[in-house]
Amino acid sequence: MSAQPIAATRGTSSASAPPAGTPARPAAKAGANPPGHRRRDILLAAAFLLPNLVLLVAFTYRPLVDNIRLSFTDWNISAPMASFIGVDNYVEWFTSDDSQLVLWNTVVFTGAAVLGSMVIGLALALLLDQKLFGRNAVRSLVFAPFVLAGAAVGVAFQFVFDPTFGLVQDLLGRVGVEAPAFYQDPEWALFMVTVTYIWKNLGYTFVIYLAALQGRRAELDEAAEIDAASTWTKFRRVTWPQLRPATFFLLITVLLNSFQVFDVIDTMTRGGPLGNGTTTMVYQVYQETFVNQRAGFGATVATIMFLALLVITLVQVRVMERGREA
Amino acid sequence: MNPLDRRRFLQLSGLTLGAVGLSACAGTGSTEQSGDGGPVETLTMWSNHPGESKPVESQLLDAFTEETGIAVNLVTAGASYEEAAQRFNAALSGGELPDVVIASDVTWFNFALNDAITPMDDLWQAVGVDTAGYVDSLREDYEFEGAHYALPYARSTPLYYYNKPMWAAAGLPDRGPETWAEFAEWAPRLAAANPAVAPMVVPDGSNYLDWYFQGMIWTFGGAYSDEWEPTFTSPESLEAGRFLQDMYRQNFIAISNDANNQFGAAQAASLLQSTGSLGGLKETAQFEFGTAFLPGPPPGTPTGGAGLTIPANISDERKEAAMQLIAFLTNTDNTVTFSQATGYMPVRQDAIDDPEMVAYLEENPNARTALEQLAVTAPQDYARVFLPGGGARIGAGLDRITIGGEDVETVFRQLGEESQQVYERDIEPKL
Repeated sequence: MSAQPIAATRGTSSASAPPAGTPARPAAKAGANPPGHRRRDILLAAAFLLPNLVLLVAFTYRPLVDNIRLSFTDWNISAPMASFIGVDNYVEWFTSDDSQLVLWNTVVFTGAAVLGSMVIGLALALLLDQKLFGRNAVRSLVFAPFVLAGAAVGVAFQFVFDPTFGLVQDLLGRVGVEAPAFYQDPEWALFMVTVTYIWKNLGYTFVIYLAALQGRRAELDEAAEIDAASTWTKFRRVTWPQLRPATFFLLITVLLNSFQVFDVIDTMTRGGPLGNGTTTMVYQVYQETFVNQRAGFGATVATIMFLALLVITLVQVRVMERGREA
Repeated sequence: MNPLDRRRFLQLSGLTLGAVGLSACAGTGSTEQSGDGGPVETLTMWSNHPGESKPVESQLLDAFTEETGIAVNLVTAGASYEEAAQRFNAALSGGELPDVVIASDVTWFNFALNDAITPMDDLWQAVGVDTAGYVDSLREDYEFEGAHYALPYARSTPLYYYNKPMWAAAGLPDRGPETWAEFAEWAPRLAAANPAVAPMVVPDGSNYLDWYFQGMIWTFGGAYSDEWEPTFTSPESLEAGRFLQDMYRQNFIAISNDANNQFGAAQAASLLQSTGSLGGLKETAQFEFGTAFLPGPPPGTPTGGAGLTIPANISDERKEAAMQLIAFLTNTDNTVTFSQATGYMPVRQDAIDDPEMVAYLEENPNARTALEQLAVTAPQDYARVFLPGGGARIGAGLDRITIGGEDVETVFRQLGEESQQVYERDIEPKL
């Protein structure tokens, strides 16, 4: 067998003809491999890949398939049996007022969390990339909340937003402003959990942006300085283009993570007020499965969420690839 | 490197698959524990340690081990009854089951309905449990289709807590209001005498407002349901809903996510809260407070709290040993110990009459209120405790009519329709 089919299966451009004058590629040599060697390579590759594939199938894909299967049943989580009910769960979710509110909460929370944590993380990274006194200590402080447990942060922030003794209530009271009803107004409650989530995860976007900033090409900054470019122009024309890969990476990971927030909401509002005031899709999965005992319906919400995330991720990857090609 | 021949590859693959298979088995476990007929040496008990009871639970379990030789592994199964139920549900789906698990008033029924927990009547006979010693109403709370699925353990009722200095400032007698109408009369006086303080605070819908309001709706002659039939829209139920809404709008009743703290910090003149909060409030409140029955006329108070259950899918030997443990934890002496440590009601009549308990109640009159109130309690409405998600559903509805300001009739009609739908979908086919 020649090397051509192998290159083709790799899907790379190496299948095209080499430019004139290029020395002969070792592909010809590989094609001369005796059949025994090739079989050994395949077996070796399989031996390395198989354990991971088996683990992936057992612990990722099989639960995923099981979840999709359960989404077509009426399974009560305490019951040993479940009945097939077709697409009833899907019809119920897509026609329910509660689900529309949950979807809206998810979109608002995710959008605000992604935008907020990326903008503030970038701003902090730009600031702490400067040669400032005590910047290492400040960097550590900014990153520290990211390693805290979400539930602990949620409990701590209850004291920040508490309507009777909270820090926010106290600070606003000092300037004669009445604190909003964070725990009773659904919009303020969503704002409260979003702010808490951003605070907790700011360290992540900050450290990725900081690493990207420190890896940028210094000569481009120097060239911009020689050209007397303004700070804004320097950022827009020199720094930002070099941060695009980090931004795309953060866009995907922060979006996926914030889409799946649970601990902060559970400790601060339990999805309330007014029932679903801060309920996002992941929290709805929990409520339906464990509170309402409807594991089948919970699986439906989880499946819809999985498909939504899959589409969003594919679109993002496609956009990123186009950006690279451009 | 040695060449990898087919035989070595197959061996390697076989080993890999075997290891993965074994790890997968370890992860999912089995719902059937060993039942070889031999003596049980170790039991596992899952609890959320209600009323900060972990120290006293450990103490009682050590005593059980000393008496029987059976070691007990006490596992914290969550921070609340709901979390303990979630963990048990997860175990039912393939994890390792405990031998004894705590179940609240709203979680045990679903387990019983789906045959996840054991009917205890035969075990009572086998182990020789003195069931007559339990307070009848608390024991019968766990009866379903002629069988009992739990024994009462950390049982409670709501109590009316009031701040005595604030009461005195308003010139009120040293007692709680006897009716909700009397509370409505007192509330303006309390508000006037104690500016910027709510005359009463109750937990919001995410924190069991549905439990506290149940007593109120009864005193107006209404109910959440008459057995399985929702009665949210009866004139009496609607009147109770409008009363709550009116009190909230006039700032006579505050709805809080942390009502205990608000009362404990003297930001509210009175509080509806569980008897299980008595111990904590004694430590945190920096003022003298009293306890009273919930306003009547009776019955104005539901029972609540938790019992101990035994999973269905464990061996008969383990079930008997588990029953022995539950009987021990709720015997007369241990009931006295547990009750004094936590503030929960004694679940046995003979514990109430025990000289040590009598002396304790003489010294702690606030703890006695719950016991005396037991005579005017009633079992909870099916719509709250037996319908899946009933408590959360009603709590959200009560939030909507108070902090959301929505029309009571509209919200209660929806609650009735949703409850009926849940009954027809999740309960009726299994009855």
